[in-house]
Amino acid sequence: MADKISVRIDGEYVAAQQGQTILEVARAGGKFIPTLCWLENLSPVGGCRLCIVEVSGVGRLLPACTTPAQDGMSVTTNSEKLTQYRRMALEFLFSERNHQCAVCVSNNHCELQSMAQRLGVTNVRYPYSFPKMRVDASHERYVLDHNRCILCTRCVRVCAEVEGARVWDVSGRGIHSLIVSDMNRPWGDSKTCTSCGKCVEVCPTGALAEKGFGVEEMVKRDRKVRRLAGRRGGHV
Amino acid sequence: MATTAALNALSLDEQSFADRMIAAYAGTPGALLSILERIQEHHPHKYLPPEVLEYVGDRMDIPLAQIYGVVTFYALFNLEPQGEHTICICRGTACHTRGSRNLLQRLRLELGLPEESEEGADKLCVTTPDGQYSLRTVACFGQCALAPVVEVDHAIFGHVNEQALRREVEHLAGRKA
Ligand code: SF4
Ligand code: SF4
Ligand code: FES
Ligand code: FES
Repeated sequence: MADKISVRIDGEYVAAQQGQTILEVARAGGKFIPTLCWLENLSPVGGCRLCIVEVSGVGRLLPACTTPAQDGMSVTTNSEKLTQYRRMALEFLFSERNHQCAVCVSNNHCELQSMAQRLGVTNVRYPYSFPKMRVDASHERYVLDHNRCILCTRCVRVCAEVEGARVWDVSGRGIHSLIVSDMNRPWGDSKTCTSCGKCVEVCPTGALAEKGFGVEEMVKRDRKVRRLAGRRGGHV
Repeated sequence: MATTAALNALSLDEQSFADRMIAAYAGTPGALLSILERIQEHHPHKYLPPEVLEYVGDRMDIPLAQIYGVVTFYALFNLEPQGEHTICICRGTACHTRGSRNLLQRLRLELGLPEESEEGADKLCVTTPDGQYSLRTVACFGQCALAPVVEVDHAIFGHVNEQALRREVEHLAGRKA
């Protein structure tokens, strides 16, 4: 049995176990911390920086999804400063690619969109970069639209950790980063893809969708995938 | 870029070289980087063809997407055959203020290479269709005092102007015969 520790979250003492992340402890205590790249039972990567929290005695903000909770830690999950930074992180995501919600398959069922609404992002203060992005419709059942991708790598992780097919990864770097299947060949030509659709279900945006759905029609159901992910022993 | 054409099989020499490198670096940290670097160095055109990457991925049980991610992350890897000669122009801040953009434009004109594309302007690597010259850019050579800096076939030249650059390229052309 893991060691018991005690953590203070927003002033309340919460019992936790050694090895749990701040996010896990906070969620178990009924606290909401915004997340986007994190998905229950997949290994956390700390990429989107939405889950940042203040830890007293630490000068910088820490991502709750990858930071282990420690005995006696005092964590603030919500403050004016945190909200500012979280909004900024979202605005950067919107300005990086082309998010025209009105014509997106995921409109009204999108985690990026609903997070922006929840955190009160009403406008984007940074210039949009309007990159020219491809749409890969070569797979017989699914589509990948790079215009909507936020590079959260949920698809990469679910494919490798749950399905075991290891189809996806991130290529390039910085602003030129792109999700690729196999050796950057069309998805439909992939020899490793099993067409299981797990990546589509966990993708938080309209980047991965099933064919045959129109604007607003793509509703993702990730519950089964999360449950399946929870059955494996530990993180890969 | 992405092709669906059937891949050429690896030559026996390429295979055995790859196998030796994989064996030599197995278990060391960053093995994949060292292996790919050595294989690229070994290739007559200093690049990593897709079939080589597939072979290495298969042998090392590394997913293709991950290998592709690695070779596109590090600027040192080439996915296209490189020219006989490589001319690398620094586009760092110091060199930029000393006119490296003009050097780049001049060389493009002389070599008949296309204008800068919109995307990927940060990392340039183009090769002339005859396979003679590869033109690249780098973000800083760490020789800013010599700005503008150009590297021609691994030799560094400082305070380069258009005339000097042309002389060097003509010199290469003379040597190639
Ligand atoms: S992915 Fe989400 S935020 Fe982006 S355009 Fe579609 S609905 Fe809007
Ligand atoms: S395709 Fe979807 S799941 Fe994959 S990185 Fe992009 S946004 Fe995330
Ligand atoms: S949820 Fe923690 S960084 Fe994305
Ligand atoms: S900027 Fe060119 S060498 Fe540093």
